[in-house]
Amino acid sequence: MSHLCENSSRAVTHGLAGCHVCEKVTPVAAAYCPRCGSHLHLRKPDSISRTMALVIASAVMYVPANMLPIMSIRELGVLTETTIVEGLISFWESGSYPIAIVIFTASIMIPLLKIFSLLWLCAAAKGLVPHSANILGKVYWMTELLGRWSMVDIFVVAILVTMVQLGNYMRVTPGPGALAFAGVVILTMFAAMSFDPKLLWDQLEREAARGEININSKSE
Amino acid sequence: MRDRGLGRVDTESGGDEVRKNYLRTRLSILTWPKPKGGPHHAVCHFCDTLHEAEPIPEGSRARCVCCGATLFQNRKASLVRVTSFSMTALLLMVVVHTAPFIHMDAGGMRTFLTLPGAALALINEGTPIVGWGVAMFTIIMPLVLSCGLVYVCGPLMFGRIAPGAMLVTRWMSHTEPWNMIEVFLLGVLVSLLKLGKLAELYFGVGFWAFAILMFCMAAAVAAIDKRELWDRLEVAKDV
Repeated sequence: MSHLCENSSRAVTHGLAGCHVCEKVTPVAAAYCPRCGSHLHLRKPDSISRTMALVIASAVMYVPANMLPIMSIRELGVLTETTIVEGLISFWESGSYPIAIVIFTASIMIPLLKIFSLLWLCAAAKGLVPHSANILGKVYWMTELLGRWSMVDIFVVAILVTMVQLGNYMRVTPGPGALAFAGVVILTMFAAMSFDPKLLWDQLEREAARGEININSKSE
Repeated sequence: MRDRGLGRVDTESGGDEVRKNYLRTRLSILTWPKPKGGPHHAVCHFCDTLHEAEPIPEGSRARCVCCGATLFQNRKASLVRVTSFSMTALLLMVVVHTAPFIHMDAGGMRTFLTLPGAALALINEGTPIVGWGVAMFTIIMPLVLSCGLVYVCGPLMFGRIAPGAMLVTRWMSHTEPWNMIEVFLLGVLVSLLKLGKLAELYFGVGFWAFAILMFCMAAAVAAIDKRELWDRLEVAKDV
């Protein structure tokens, strides 16, 4: 079978699977890893379907996460409800540019980038868009690495709700947007975990076998 | 047979013959014991290329011949660092949860921030699911992770395996991404900058312990050498 790199072959052609947990390489026929007892798979099971399902769910939740108030502030009897974007704007207008940038990156940019990059990765693994596996590998790695930082907004709400309990003067309570936003972060984390980057290379290999791309055009 | 069709591991410090001989004599000291059987293989996480996993010197990493991703590393004094940093983290957790964390004076009132307090406030104010999530990511997961690391790596330093250590290690590899201490610290900084204009803030010993705890957890996780850990577990089990 052809391979994209000379003098090397892929584990799948030998029927070998690397354990997802302990990395031991075993024939996949064994079903369970002899070392740690985890399930052995050549590829993560139903990777693309699971990833797509989780990405769609998180994209749906992204709407209430941004439309509904993430917290409400009652100051001297006046109730103000703020969404993520409104909180961001108030930081920007009060001149706290570094915080505004942090919040923008963590709460708006990273979730959106994650949703779009996972969609792109799934499409690439299905062969719907042309891709370079090396670049997409890096996209995947970034997606996995950055996902957790979106949680910062939820922690900010938790801290403000705890500390701003000043009786009639000022009180902060969490809003329904917080639940939706936490849902987005957790679902995109699970989505990134269920995607198998090896599928990108499988697709490249299929294209190479059909002669659609030049085998030696590997980047780097 | 010229080649078994397997990629060779590229070590970064590879080079001339003299250096190779030097490494060969040093490797017996520098690498961890290998489980019985072999040849041992490594599969690239990204492109699925099969490699022969040859021992590599401490402080170097093996890269995939095909896509260049890291296959495995041999981190320096991995077990010792993991154990000591996670033991420090456990001690710091005691300080974080007992010493004053942060309190705020505003409008003649004083409010306190603690880690369980933040989770409890969300639970009591009508978002229990988010509250439990916060408790999970900032208290339970870091505790489970550092306890697990001490439990597994401590005895392993002396070539022993604790009962159920393999199961614990398996669980730990799943809990790792859910440990969000550093994200919480960023959250503290953001909200304090928001509150700083409103009120007087006081930082207790607990807060500084938490900042150090973040570095200890990060150092412990960064010191984990997955391949070495599992190979050592397998060797210790066979003894």
